[in-house]
Amino acid sequence: MAQATNPIRPEGAPSNTAGQGAGPRYDGRPAKQYLRLLTPVTSRQAAYYGVAGAFLFFLIWEAGHYLTPEGSQRFLPSPQIVVGTMVRLTVEKNYLADVGISLARVLISFFAACAIAVPLGVFMGCFANMRAFINPVFSGARYLPAASFIPLLLVWFGPTDTQKLALLFLGVIFFLVALILDNTEAVEKSLVEAALTMGASRSQIVMGVVVRAASPAIVDSMRNMIAVSWTYLVIEEIVAAQDGIGAVMMRAGRFLKVDIIMAGILTIGILGVLTDIAFRLLSYYLFPWNRKRPG
Amino acid sequence: MSDDATLAIEVQNVTRRYMGGKFTAVDDISLDVPEAQVCAFVGPSGCGKTTMLRMLAGLEEPTEGSIVTYGRPVLGPGPDRGMVFQAYTSFPWLTALQNVEYGMKILGVPKAEREAKARKWLEEVHLSQAANSYPSELSGGMKQRVAIARTLAQNPTVLLLDEPFGALDAQVRWEMQEMMIEIFEVERKTTVLVTHDVQEAIYLADRIVFYTRTPGKVKQDILMDFKNGQRFRQKEELLAQPGYIDMERQLFAWMREEIQGT
Repeated sequence: MAQATNPIRPEGAPSNTAGQGAGPRYDGRPAKQYLRLLTPVTSRQAAYYGVAGAFLFFLIWEAGHYLTPEGSQRFLPSPQIVVGTMVRLTVEKNYLADVGISLARVLISFFAACAIAVPLGVFMGCFANMRAFINPVFSGARYLPAASFIPLLLVWFGPTDTQKLALLFLGVIFFLVALILDNTEAVEKSLVEAALTMGASRSQIVMGVVVRAASPAIVDSMRNMIAVSWTYLVIEEIVAAQDGIGAVMMRAGRFLKVDIIMAGILTIGILGVLTDIAFRLLSYYLFPWNRKRPG
Repeated sequence: MSDDATLAIEVQNVTRRYMGGKFTAVDDISLDVPEAQVCAFVGPSGCGKTTMLRMLAGLEEPTEGSIVTYGRPVLGPGPDRGMVFQAYTSFPWLTALQNVEYGMKILGVPKAEREAKARKWLEEVHLSQAANSYPSELSGGMKQRVAIARTLAQNPTVLLLDEPFGALDAQVRWEMQEMMIEIFEVERKTTVLVTHDVQEAIYLADRIVFYTRTPGKVKQDILMDFKNGQRFRQKEELLAQPGYIDMERQLFAWMREEIQGT
């Protein structure tokens, strides 16, 4: 017999079998249901679903291309054409150099922001008076649109790499601080109290208990925020850059080369997914105690 | 108890108020606990018994009054007063063994010695087989065993237990209570146990301090004389003692008085 497919009742549990009089009859052969409440999927099933979803996406894209009137098809190139363009750019136009520059901009600015946000968030999370002192300014700064700093940074630094790194830095730092403050405050107070009753010093508690306890959540916050960094990268490179993926896309736009624009979008998507995976792996290997266990 | 027994804990006129004095949790409590006594604080929810225990631990300060353990005033938390919490406080990033080592590490015990001691303590709480497991792999009862071992491994002079079995199911709680009896017999630690489980208090304690509800005062302070100084390895032996049922009935009557506000 196949796995139980009833929404709630597990396999083998007594069921309302036939012959019990009134009420809906349950004949022991549950209907196939694809939307079952409280039913987790195995990682293998999740992979199948994921591949199917991606396949459907490319199928719709492909269909869109062929359904477009012949004369306009170059404005919606098919996936094969876009991938072909990525290969051609790489071979002929040294595209990887632009990709590398963009990647470096994101990583350098992001880790610089983390280098400030992590200690600051932890500090505020541990000491309420410092939180009261610092947080109003930092949390207010989240409402300043980072893109509006572009003109200012251009005046200050000119169209330099410093200007680009500064924008990406400003784009994530305030949100990172807020998230890491939350992560720190979410650490169970009883862990800190237990350490206090064992005679641990303040620094032993901050570094050895609070940071240790919060670190999986902090890495998770970083993983989520680096996606925002990629968003600002494109804004930045489209507005004021001679190199990088965004600049390549902007130049292509002037000549209506939609395949190059879409290759750029796809590249950033792929890089985003790769950084996401990198953070997940980091978390998996750094925090073996925090791995989700089956059952 | 003889009168000249060393006093482990001396509480004098301790009051604890919150909200700028508007709410009184603990009201003018004085009590002494002689060395090696197991003293239970019992009372309805919100009677200030946990607040009192937290003040003994040094996690909260009395608004008025003083607390002294073994002649030293309590000015803050310290390893001389080990505490086991109701919440699971095993550090999730450390294995059971490393958790038990943690307190000794704080005290500066060398690695080899603390590992050996930690193994001994895990054995004492019947957890040797889980030495290398992380807390996320342990049941609630096993986590509390780790917490108890970790606390005792620091060899505190006073053991403070804040409803340590409150979150456990009935069977595991019973196993843990019997284990505590073994530990009390071997360690003879001065212990303060906060519980609202009347049976648990009678089973484990030599003395019960019963609190009134808000503000917390001492309603009754009684010795478990019917046990004749014995500790029973098996709970059913206790239940068979003459006087047990009277004690339980008395405590439930007090509890009803407090809950119904008679």
